[in-house]
Parts: sequence; C-alpha cells; structure tokens
Amino acid sequence: MNPRRLRFTGHVILALSVMAVGLAGCQTAPPPKEETAVVITVPTDPPSFNGLVTDAGFDSLIMELVLLSVTDVNADGDIFPELAAELPTVENGGVVYNEETGAMDVTWRLRQGVQWADGKPVTANDVLFTWEAISDPEGGIWLQGSDYIDSIEVMDDYTFAVHYTSVFPGYLTQFGGDQVVIWPAHYCDASQGFVAWDCNRAPLSDGPYMLDEWQAGDHLTFVRNPRYYESGKPAIDRIVVRVVPDPTVRLAMLTGGDADVDVWLPESGVNQLKGNPDVVVSIAPTSRWVFRLFSNLVVRGSTDLAGTPHPVLSDVRVRRALRLAIDVDTIMQEVFLGYGRAVWTEFFRPPYVCDIPRPAYDPQAAAALLDDAGWTDTDGDGVRECHGCQTAEEGYLMSFELATYGEYGPELELAHQLIGEMLEKVGMQTELRVLEGSVMWADAASGGTEQNGDFDLDLYDDGYPGLDPTDHLYFYYYSASAEPDAGFNVGRWVNEEFDALLDEAYTLDEDHRKEVFCQMADILEAELPQILLFSAINADAHSARLQGIQSSANDMATWNVADWTLSE
Amino acid sequence: MGSYLLRRLLQLIPLLFLLSIAIFALVNLAPGGPLASLGGSRHVNPQRAEQLRRQLGLDQPLPLQYIYWLVGNDWTRVDADGDGVDESYGTRRGVLRGDFGISFRTRRPVLTEIMERLPNTIYLMVVTLFVVAIIAVPIGVLSAVKQYSLFDLIATTLSFAGQAIPEFWLGLILILIFYVWLRNPVTGEPLFPAGGMYTLGSAFSVGDWIKHLILPVAMGAVGWVAWYSRFLRAGMLDVIHQDYIRTARAKGLTERKVLYRHALRNALIPLVTILALDLPYIFAGSLYVELIFSWPGMGRLYYQAATQRDYPLLMAVLIIAAATTAVCNLLADLAYAVLDPRIRYD
Amino acid sequence: MDRMPPEDSRPPNRSAADALRPAGSTASNVWGRFRHHPGAVAGAIVLGLLVLSSSLAFLSPYDPEASEIDVRLAAPSLEHPTGTDALGRDLLTRLVYGGRISLSVGIMVVIIALVVGIPIGAVAGYFGGWVDDVLMRITDAALSLPALLVLILLSAFLRELDLPILHSNSVLTIALVIGSLSWMTVARLVRASYLTIRELEFITAARCLGAPNLRIMVRHILPNAVGPIIVEATLEVGYAIMEESGLSFLGFGIQPPTPSWGNLLSDAQEHLTLHPWLAIFPGLMIFLAIISVNYIGDGMRDAFDPYRVLKKVGEV
Repeated sequence: MNPRRLRFTGHVILALSVMAVGLAGCQTAPPPKEETAVVITVPTDPPSFNGLVTDAGFDSLIMELVLLSVTDVNADGDIFPELAAELPTVENGGVVYNEETGAMDVTWRLRQGVQWADGKPVTANDVLFTWEAISDPEGGIWLQGSDYIDSIEVMDDYTFAVHYTSVFPGYLTQFGGDQVVIWPAHYCDASQGFVAWDCNRAPLSDGPYMLDEWQAGDHLTFVRNPRYYESGKPAIDRIVVRVVPDPTVRLAMLTGGDADVDVWLPESGVNQLKGNPDVVVSIAPTSRWVFRLFSNLVVRGSTDLAGTPHPVLSDVRVRRALRLAIDVDTIMQEVFLGYGRAVWTEFFRPPYVCDIPRPAYDPQAAAALLDDAGWTDTDGDGVRECHGCQTAEEGYLMSFELATYGEYGPELELAHQLIGEMLEKVGMQTELRVLEGSVMWADAASGGTEQNGDFDLDLYDDGYPGLDPTDHLYFYYYSASAEPDAGFNVGRWVNEEFDALLDEAYTLDEDHRKEVFCQMADILEAELPQILLFSAINADAHSARLQGIQSSANDMATWNVADWTLSE
Repeated sequence: MGSYLLRRLLQLIPLLFLLSIAIFALVNLAPGGPLASLGGSRHVNPQRAEQLRRQLGLDQPLPLQYIYWLVGNDWTRVDADGDGVDESYGTRRGVLRGDFGISFRTRRPVLTEIMERLPNTIYLMVVTLFVVAIIAVPIGVLSAVKQYSLFDLIATTLSFAGQAIPEFWLGLILILIFYVWLRNPVTGEPLFPAGGMYTLGSAFSVGDWIKHLILPVAMGAVGWVAWYSRFLRAGMLDVIHQDYIRTARAKGLTERKVLYRHALRNALIPLVTILALDLPYIFAGSLYVELIFSWPGMGRLYYQAATQRDYPLLMAVLIIAAATTAVCNLLADLAYAVLDPRIRYD
Repeated sequence: MDRMPPEDSRPPNRSAADALRPAGSTASNVWGRFRHHPGAVAGAIVLGLLVLSSSLAFLSPYDPEASEIDVRLAAPSLEHPTGTDALGRDLLTRLVYGGRISLSVGIMVVIIALVVGIPIGAVAGYFGGWVDDVLMRITDAALSLPALLVLILLSAFLRELDLPILHSNSVLTIALVIGSLSWMTVARLVRASYLTIRELEFITAARCLGAPNLRIMVRHILPNAVGPIIVEATLEVGYAIMEESGLSFLGFGIQPPTPSWGNLLSDAQEHLTLHPWLAIFPGLMIFLAIISVNYIGDGMRDAFDPYRVLKKVGEV
C-alpha cells in the first residue's frame, strides 16, 4: 500500500474514531429526579414578552407565563379575576353610570398579597404606571377602550377607578385578556418607552414562572416562581419554549417524546395524531378565525364609496348565488378533515348568538338566481355574460379574481382552489391568485391591495378577539371605516341603518345589546357584504402526561399554565 | 501591479455605495409593508398604523429615508410625538457610524439581533467547510492521480449526483430516514435529533453537540463536496500534465514529493480563490439547512424578516453579506494575481 | 455556494497559439467528440425524455389542476403510477406539467443570461480601460449580492405585478427574476475570451483593414468564443431549475395551483411521514433534470476543447 493511500486511510479512520468516541460519550446527564419540565415548541422566535406591542401570538404565550393581568378570559369565554379581587358590576357598585353626562366609572379592587419576584407587592400604582406607559403618544399603542378613558385614579394601594367618558361595554377586559398585563412600576424604565423598554425582553415576574435564560432564535427557559400567589402552584418546575420552524419536525418531536406541547396545530396534524395513545389534542370550544369572502362592491381599483359599482359583485343576488354555490361541508370534510364548523353569521359565539337559518348548498338555485340577475351563458363556453344584468355592460364576462394569502398553509390553498372550482361550475370564471399577507393587508401607501381597492373577491380567515364584537363590527362594516386606511371595510359597504344600530350597541344594557346585534345580523344576512363560510379548528396538541391544559380561542394555550400538572 | 491594486481598492467605495442604493431600493420598493405583520389580527388599527408609520420612519420620502439610514438623523430634528412639529433630535446614528437601526419586529437594535444569530451560522458553516475539505481534497487528488480507475469513475459519478441533488429535498429525506424511520435498536429512540444545536436542559457534552451537527452538516456538505472534489480533480489534472511535473519526476523526486510539494500546491491555488469567494456564504448561512433543522442562524432570521418586511434587518443582512462578498472577491482576484506569476494586469 | 465562477473566468493560461481555432473544431467534429462522451449521451437521452414527456403533457387523461377529493393521497397504483396529491390530483400529470414550467424557466433564464451577459462581457473585454472597469464593477456588485436572499425579495416584488405580459404567476416573471442574477458569470466568461482573442493577429489584421468595432466583435471574435459560452449556458439551465425549485419550495416562486417541481415538493412537506412518495418523485425529477444537464455540459466542454481531452490522456 503506497504511503499516500495509507495517509488518506489514516485520516479517514481518525475522523471516524473521533465521531465514534463523541457518539459513545454522549451519555447526556439525566435531569435531577425531582425536577419536572415541560417543553413547548413554537414555529418562530417570540419577538418579546409584550403581546400588546408585537402581537404575534407567541409573545402572549410567554407573557402568560410570567405576568398577570387584572382579569383574564377562560376557554368558554367567561371572564375571571386574576389580579382583581372580584369583578366590578353594576350590582355590586363597582360600575357607576351617570345618565346625564353619559360617563361611566369603574372601581376595581385588587387582590392583596400578590408579589413581584423581588418581594415588592403588586399595587394599583403598577396599574396606573402601565396605563401611562401604554397611552404615551410617542409609543403609539392603541388599546381597546382607550378612546373613552378620561383618567385613571388611584384611591389606595389596592383600589383604583377608571373614568370613562361614555359607555364602554368591554370594561371588564380593559386590563386583561391575551394582550394586556400589568408591568412593575419600580422595575421597568418608563423613559425607554413601553415599546422598547428592557422589560419586554427581561421582565420582572409576578406570574407562575420566571425567565431563566433566553437564547435568541433557539429557546427560552422558565423556572417556577416561588412567590407566586396561588400556593401549591405551579406544579411543574421548569418550562422550556423551543423554536422549531418545521411543522413535520415539531410533530415528530411531539410523538417522539421530545416535546410536550405543539401549539396552533393544523387539521392535518390533528389527523395524524388520531389514535396515538401518547398524544392528546385539545380543541377549543369556539374559534376566533372564520374563513370568509370579502366582496369588493366598488369597481376594482377605485376607493371611491360613491364610485362605479363593481360590475359583477355589487348585485346582492350574485353574492347570494356565490354562497349557494359553495359546498362548505365538503371543504370542511375533505380539506379540514372534518374539524371545521360551518359559520354563516358574525354572531355565533356566546354570549351573542343570533338565530339566522343556515344557508343551503344549492348550485341549481344559484344558477337560477344568476339567470334572474341577468347573467346567462349564451355562447356555450361555460362562462356567463351579462345579458340584462343591472351592474355591467351587455356582454360583460362574469370573470373576477379570487385571491387569498399564502402564509396560512396548504389547507387554505386547497380550499381556495376548491372554491374556485365550485364557482366555475355555476358559470363564473375565477382567476386564482395567492398573495403575501403583508401585501394584501398593508396600508394604502405601501401598496396594500385591499386598502387600494385592488381586488375582487378575497378569501381569508378573520375574527374578533375576546368577547365583544363591537369594535370588530365598527372597523369592518361601519361606513366611516370604508375610507382607505380608516378601517377595514374594504368592500366599501355603506348601510345607514346598520350604522345607527351599531351606535346603539354602546350600552351597558346587555339585553338591548343582544337585540341590537341580532337586528344587525339580519341586515348582514340580507346584504352579505362578507360571506362567512366556516371556522377552522383551534387546537393544540400535548403529550398525554400533561394534564390541565385547555386550548382556547381567546388566548394562547398557556393561559392557565399555573393549573397544569404531570401525571407520571 | 501596484496601480491595479490601488485602482481596485478605490473602486470598492463606489461599488459599495451602488450596492447600498440597490439594496435600499429593492427592499423598499417591494409591495407590502411591515405594518400588516405587526399585528396578530389581519389589520392594524388605523390610528395605530399612523403612529407606527411615524415611529418606524416610514412617513418620510424614500430618498430621505435612505439618508437617515446611511448617516442617521441625530443631526436634525424630527417629529417624535406626532403633533406635526419637529421638536426633538433623532436618535439614529446611521450605518456609516455602525448603527443599523431598530428591527421593526422586536424593536431591538438590528446588530444585536444579528450578533445573536451570527455565531451559530458561522459555527455550522465552518464545521461544514472543514468536513468538506477533509473529504473533497483526498477524493479530488486521488481521482486525478488514479484517472479513469474505478475509484475515479465512482467518485465522478457521485459528484455529478451530489451537485444535482436539491439541498432542501436532501434535508427532508435525511430527517425522514434518520429521525422518523431508523431507530436506535437498543433504546428505540430516534438515531439523530431533528434540530437545534444541543439537547436542552442537559449538561454540556461534546458528543451531544456533535450529534446535533451530523445531519445539518451532511445536508450542507453533499453539494459542496461534489463541487470541490470535481474542481480539485480538474485542477490537479491540469497541473499533473504540465511539463514542470515531468521535469520534477525526471529529476528523481519521489512520487509523493512530486504530488504534494509541486502538483497539489499549484492545484490548490484555484481552489483557494473559490474558497475565498465562498467565505461570505459562511455569514449568510444556508437558508435551507437552518429552516429544516431549526438552526438559530442568520438565514432563518432573514427569511422571517423577508415575510414580515422588517426593512432594517433585511437591509443590514444584505449589505453586510454583499460588502463582505465584494471585499472577498477583490481579495480573491488579488490573491490569484499574486499566487500565479503568469497573470499580469495592466 | 449557490454560484461560483467557473475555472475559465480567470484569464486562460494558454499561449496565443493554443487559442487559435484548431482544425478540429468545426461542427461535425464537435458533434463527433460529444458522441463519444458516454455521460453526455446518457444525459441527452434523459433530458430528451423529460422534454418529450413535458411537451406531450396534454395527452394525460387527468387535469393537472382539477381536484378529485375521493382519491386524495392515494399511494402509487396502476391508475395513478405516482399516486395522488392532497386534492386527489394525479401526481404524474402534475409532474409532467411541472416539468413544462421548470424546463421553460430554465431555458428562458439562459436566454436572458446570454442576452444580457454577452454584450456586457464583449464590450468590457474588447474595449478595456475605464469601460471595462465600470462594467466589471457593476458585475461585481451584482455578484456580491447573496443570490437566494435577493431572489426572495425580487420575487415578492414581481409577484404582485399586473402588467400586460408580466403577470404574477407567469413563467416569464420568474425567469426574469432568476435571470437578473444569472448573467454575471456569462459576462465574465465572455470578457475573458474577448480579452485573449482581441490580441490575436487576425483581429489586428481586420482592424487594419478598417472593419468597424461592432463587426469585429460580432463577426470575428464571437464565433471563436462560442465554446465556453455554450458550455456555461448548458450548466446555467441546471442552475436555473435548481433556483426555481428552491424559490417555489420556499413559497416565493410559482404559486399553486400551477404545478412546478419546487412547489410540489413544498406541498409534500406536510405529508412527509405518511405519504412520502409526494416528496420523492418531484425531487427525483429535479435531480434527473439537473444531472443530465450537467453531464451534457461536461460533454460539451470536452467537445469544444479537444486539447482538454488530449490533456486528460496526458499526451500534451
């Protein structure tokens, strides 16, 4: 064997033996017996601990581990007190409504004995501090209800009052929910600003866990907070949040025992886990996100409310035919594997449920309706043209673009294609287009397609957070929201009766609100500015040994992390 | 030679400026903006949107934005609280003074974000490069020396194959085989981890880090090894058949001396220049490897920033990568001129 | 490692005499040498089959974009030789239609690279001086940009376009995007050839005879420089296919429902564990296309440079 080859072989053997030694030596030390740990996998790096600033979902996930809010919402939609001692209501005198001025005062009493991790107590001053930081105009944060707040008054260490200039029905979650928490006045540096203060990366904790280390892009580790106010909780010593971008790998880690929780599971993931004894899928009772079609009622490219109506979509009969032609059950069954729920009105989540009859799937009725509306196919090419329709010229082809966004994933793409096919079957020609979300929903100046009126029919999921649809209804249906960048009424739908009803909804009288909402539901059903189709699943998967975790449409799965236990 | 060197160095400056303008234009002219991704909901509240635009500096005309990016705005007054009056001085010092701005997504300095990820990318790429070198060089040399032998044939075929395999496909297949299908016969656990740099929560162990390196390095190295071994083979062949090698042999030098001291050294010259051109790749990282193996590196950071239109981060990554490449290109050209006396520039 | 300049982009170290067109370089001789390169012939056959199957895609009984929910995710069988995808569409049909896209993108990118790169390289190499400097610095700038990262942004840009011929999902748009960063190697190559050839006597002669520069560049130099250009062009096809697949895989290239090998691979990711054939076949297609193109390129290289062959055998 010539020396050269010998040397080469030697190199190879050396390399292999180094690897072998390394592999053999990788007896990773097992964690100490008493310490329990749970691993949560997320697809991207949480941007910060401040859900209100970065609003990415994963920020709320880690926020819920270390910080508390005044109130929070459970999976069934019930509000419960967290830092508050009890919920203020009209009955217990916590809420005072002045009939003459229209002003509303809400007095909160805080729980005593809650401490920050450095031993200092959580007081009403922290609430005031948080409010001032949030409402600082330089920070530019908008909080629901902040338009109505006149001032916040601290009465003593554990009592404060919020003075509203007019009725704000969502006052119970003013400082709660999945985005707002209370920050420590003595620790966070207000001069850095709410948006950029160091607290957003390294907060002082009053929640069940404290941040131990954060390796950017890779993982975060949390340890039990010994000063947490609920004695005996949390049960788990350590929580690790790991960043794993690939969904296949996340699933494999879950089934392989390397991870305990995988959040925001898509339907295919749920299906793959069916029958696996080691994994449990927790499904939320309701879902925030409803897939819907947004129709542009004005001719494409125009943002003028009073401008030319859209040649195809401005006729309500066409929109009704659209809905009749779409087989929601098949889409849910085949694409979303049976895990969806048909939704056809904005008012389907308790406590505001209105009784609107479910629309049928009836392509023949759709065809008949289109014929009535003046759209018929005279040249036999399968696509209808305008013959006597009210919104377009004679001979205008019934063709438009059906767009959606790509980041959701394959399910939406498939649903998108299926819907296109269903519409083609009734004689509409659809051109399918997939955009980036950051292009579809960008503001007008950045070239956002919706704000510029540069679309025909858009398909995507949307919905309101929390319990109160009022703001959502305002931004999506109110006439003032139809101006570019003033809201999201991108279809430019104007209905004065609806506007008037919405104004009435700002009241504390729950019964009246429900009445008003259902009247609005009727209008929406009659005019169909948006065609709601179905809601997808809101599910998180977890290992069977983890108990107490409950997927919620109102928050990330860590909303009740203090109640989690391990059953092994 | 000296004048050429001077000329190229001086030309580097307008080159970098050209690059920065091109990158700025590219990033900002892409439709869509960062605002849509700054909310978990589909749309950003209009009042908030306006304030955000002001905060992020997006309400300025583009040329002004470029200037602020380059030289900062702490020498001029800006409107910080939205009342229409420019009352306070800006806080940015500009790229030329080392301030790459604030990430739209996390509101932290861009350089901080980059420096947190950069070492991980460099670590992975350097290990990959090392593995590539120790595999490709012997294969290339041996292929050339044993030209047309069975070894050469197999090596050449494999290198053609290695260059044709899509990297992202390879990564998925590797995970399929080594994480999902094959299991450790004793413990029943997956053979290799599916991602990350080390096992969390466990004590530091070299073996653990190596285990986490194997699949990502394999995915990145295959194409590289294929290319380099072929390149080296061609270079070696070029050199072996030169007259001076024949002369060396005729002089009675041992085959080994001939190969190593004369042939390989000269054959490595083009390889060195190729390596210099690949160096910037070490910083930008391999996007696919990082995405598939959850490696917390620069490539993934960039990908995330691209979908969310995090302009400052995008520009920083692009300009750093481009500037590094330009400088390395220049160095490679110069190194080549220095190493190979036959090349003359006028 | 996306892109590396080939060895020939440095000034060739052959003497002027070697650079003269040797007698054996006419078309028939080139073809003869190509024929004897087994890999190249095999590659040509495989590529030919791919092209053929893609052009005959319309013969398939299945519609590549119409869904058939009942047979979704079916394993390979007689009716569906490579199985079906998540919407029940026949994968083989989508593969050959995708081949049409990927192969046409490849060709278009090469055309763009040649159309842009040859003039730039020719002018830089022929005129030298500050023209060369400026053009080469521009080329350097383009080469300095990290290709994949920039392509991601460029494709996002062009995806939203809605002009008469260039709309969002068209092959031309993607080809333009990829082509915009593919011309530099060709330019450098052409420049190197022009730098050498312009020094030769027959060029001096032509100039003395009063031939205008453009004529010299196109009629005299270009035909002699053609060899390396053709080789590089062939390899560029493989590179373009790889880039297009990568972009589509990341979600930035061709959008569904239009099939492309890259986005077929991306769709398959979700079903990797349970239905791996969805990922295996598209990847295999990409692999076959690129490897055949590379072998063809290697064959071209041998065919155009007989001295290379002789050097290999050790006789020169």
